[in-house]
Amino acid sequence: MKKKEKGGTRVKPAAIAVFALALILAVIFLVPVFFALISAFKSNGDILKNPLALPTSLYLKNFQDLFAQSDFVTAIKHSLILTVVSEVLIVCIVPMAAYAIERRQSKATALVYTYFLAGMMIPFHLYMFPLFKEMRTFHIYGTLTGPILSYIAGSVGFGTLLYSSFLKGIPLEIEEAARIDGCNPFQTFWQVTFPLLGPCTASMVVLNGLNIWNDFLLPFLALPSNVAKTITVEVYSFVGQYTARWDIVFAGTVCSIVPALIIFIMLQKYFVKGITAGAAKG
Amino acid sequence: MTKKKGKIDLTATAFIAPAFILFTLFIMVPTISSFYYSFTSWDGISPKVTFIGLANYKEILTGGRFRNALKNTFLLTLFISVLENLLALCLALLVDNVKWWKNFFRSAFYIPVLLSGIVGGFIWKIMYNYNFGVVNSLLNTFGLGAFKQDWLGNPALTLIMVGVVLVWKGAGYYMIIYLASLQSVSTDIIEAAAIDGASPWQRFRHIILPLISGAFTINFTLSLINGLKVFDQISVMTDGGPGFSTETIVYLLYKVGFSEGRQGFGTAVGVVLLFIIIVLNTIQQKFLRSREVQL
Repeated sequence: MKKKEKGGTRVKPAAIAVFALALILAVIFLVPVFFALISAFKSNGDILKNPLALPTSLYLKNFQDLFAQSDFVTAIKHSLILTVVSEVLIVCIVPMAAYAIERRQSKATALVYTYFLAGMMIPFHLYMFPLFKEMRTFHIYGTLTGPILSYIAGSVGFGTLLYSSFLKGIPLEIEEAARIDGCNPFQTFWQVTFPLLGPCTASMVVLNGLNIWNDFLLPFLALPSNVAKTITVEVYSFVGQYTARWDIVFAGTVCSIVPALIIFIMLQKYFVKGITAGAAKG
Repeated sequence: MTKKKGKIDLTATAFIAPAFILFTLFIMVPTISSFYYSFTSWDGISPKVTFIGLANYKEILTGGRFRNALKNTFLLTLFISVLENLLALCLALLVDNVKWWKNFFRSAFYIPVLLSGIVGGFIWKIMYNYNFGVVNSLLNTFGLGAFKQDWLGNPALTLIMVGVVLVWKGAGYYMIIYLASLQSVSTDIIEAAAIDGASPWQRFRHIILPLISGAFTINFTLSLINGLKVFDQISVMTDGGPGFSTETIVYLLYKVGFSEGRQGFGTAVGVVLLFIIIVLNTIQQKFLRSREVQL
């Protein structure tokens, strides 16, 4: 794609143009995020007066008010429990299913695979009303268990897709060696194959975890209404509640954005791997 | 690995069972029961469920509210799918060709994807604010004060303004897929074409574009389906308004189900949505797959 550079280190104008264009677009993409991050550390007056100016001092009153005026600690706790518990259970359940589908190919497993993938097409909104009725029947409506079980179910389609495509690249010989050494299928999977699926697990955990962390409608409707629900739901209810106190809402948005940002910066390549592997099979 | 025919594979069953049971209980059972509820006047609370035949579907076909929601959904989905794909492809080409800060740019374009729809929607709602918003103050700075608007208050514009937020949030995701596809195009072919005298545009149009058509099919399908399901941004930015100008199918479904206690009608709307998704998916796979070039 790139032409060879003539005459040593001279930088071509085209390269500078590409860089400048990328820079302008990057600024446009990042301004809203930057705006939210700085606004969380400014008073309401400063946000209104000079929205894009940097905060002049370390102003933490928004966070103090956020925790004093709402039960934000509970919201953070709920977000963490939903994300972490769902992810742990997903990692226990989904790779095993994908492994059996991929390694024991038969008409039955092919049918299960299609069944799981078909689920990816079904919009949550279609089945949410009957789902809540079902949760009431099981007495898990208004508990964290309801959303957790739904998140696991919701991850089966994409997870099976992702794990099966990774499993294709793992040689059977290793598993056969383990079997000859006397491992049962359960041990073979967890002690030999699963560790080799590390990158795939990381991809699934970050992509799924982000969706759960950011999810709105399910916790909004399925958690009890008398306590704080999740960070995302709290931010939503602040928007209606504190129409004149944007500073507090921005403090809430920072609590939602920063953990996602940190995970992304640390585990970037797994986001990329997961998205491309999912797309290649999608 | 080999097993006798006709015998149930117990190991495979045990491995699949937990996922199968949860998936069936929490996705398939409610999905199938939603087909049943779509023929009832269920209100979501009372245990009494009255069968009313095709009345919900009749209302969908004849009522103006669904037609309005369908139109809004169609316009919004088309707007975001086209712009997201154009922008994502441009971003991918930029990141692929830029000489400095490659990783920074890839991350910068992806960061909006990390934000929840609610958080991103709130930030933009404030930026669109008439008196104190960043958008209007930037217009003032550049001497374009005449274009100042109440961006979310004008029914003719609101849907597009919500669409802009969705494109901003979504483009980075599709960029990653285009980028992977661009990077898999062999440089040998492109160099060979360059030696044969193909201009950069010809190389893009006749070599790169056909080779990344697979990514295009995937991205277009994904962006269409995601467009049909948009909810969070609408709920935080416009609540379907002003009037009904941003009420989409999904938002209509939510409103009638929860604010108006008509969950039977809501599920019927959901069934129609699923039908639309399946039809779109099938058409697209047939139409676009046939134009792909395989290497």
